[in-house]
Amino acid sequence: MGQTSGWRVLSTINADLGMGVVGVMSADSAEPTQFGESPSSPERTVVPGVPKAAAQELPPSEAADRGVEDPEETPQQRTARFERDAMPMLDQLYAAALRMTRNPADAEDLVQETYLKAYGAFGSFRAGTNLRAWLYRILTNTYINGYRKRQRQPLAQPTEEITDWQLAQAAQHTSSGLRSAEMDALDRLPDSAVKEALSQLAEDFRMAVYLADVEGFAYKEIAEIMGTPIGTVMSRLHRGRKQLRDMLTGEARERGFLRDAEVAS
Amino acid sequence: MSCGDPHETDCHQVLAELWLFLDNECNRERRELLRRHLDECGPCLEEFGLEEHLKALLARKCGGDHAPDALKQRLRESIREIMMRQAVLSAEVTVQRDDNGTVVEVSTSTVESHAWLTTES
Repeated sequence: MGQTSGWRVLSTINADLGMGVVGVMSADSAEPTQFGESPSSPERTVVPGVPKAAAQELPPSEAADRGVEDPEETPQQRTARFERDAMPMLDQLYAAALRMTRNPADAEDLVQETYLKAYGAFGSFRAGTNLRAWLYRILTNTYINGYRKRQRQPLAQPTEEITDWQLAQAAQHTSSGLRSAEMDALDRLPDSAVKEALSQLAEDFRMAVYLADVEGFAYKEIAEIMGTPIGTVMSRLHRGRKQLRDMLTGEARERGFLRDAEVAS
Repeated sequence: MSCGDPHETDCHQVLAELWLFLDNECNRERRELLRRHLDECGPCLEEFGLEEHLKALLARKCGGDHAPDALKQRLRESIREIMMRQAVLSAEVTVQRDDNGTVVEVSTSTVESHAWLTTES
């Protein structure tokens, strides 16, 4: 009898996770990946939800490696490995989620969903591949497929590609010595003002800038995380940084840290 | 716009590639070329300094948030629940159906105690 009631509890957990999965599936990614069909993991076929959803978030290179999970690894060992390798990155992922969603409650939900998906797919995560980028990819996809739609934010539609010629046109320097005044003014801005300016950027720009400048990811990694070509990453970075600098300089001027005459343009 | 001085690499080109340099995305040869230009061109170096400063400013002021302890706790509990379920599922399970519905009998259980999941914060 004890076993039977235990089973009911577990079924409830299954149902809860299943609900979550439906919530994050995008309309255009109709077919759930059949994550559980690997012969080495027959138990997954009776655990619907987490693994299938997580498989959708996997980078293509990881997806190709699905099914290579160690059949000898027990759930306890996998959990220990997850605890050791993935849990220490929780703060980082939360900070990124906060920049994406722009509010703590959504950031918590997003991180929780990301980690449960990651845990569900962790059996097939290959040691030696970039765990941090893998987690960020799941975070980003979960956000794009779920939270962004729920938040119903107007989506900025930036023109993605800019040519070298346009880059060169935009690139010019003034030969005055006003840069140091601008630097000093930016330094005086409080953290909240800098965060606020970042949050004002269009979402794709914001994420590219965050991943490059705060997390220090390489362009190639950002391209994989965001699922875009490297050229698009560069374009988003270029525009995002330029807008950010203009905003911060404007903010510094408004706060009286920078006189109009000192603003280099 | 150029600073007017003759350079091996044009200021335009250098400024267009400043971020590549800053993000460490140039190959070594290109990097060396840009570095030489920055060494000899004050205005470009200043521009580089500002962009470098901005990048550092963002890193300093926009990261470093800590996830709430309650979230960490909740996650650990969820993970433990899933693990317990998987452990049960990977145990030897026999399912028998009768007229009253499904009866599940677990003949071997591999579920062990994992206090470390909840005690560590």
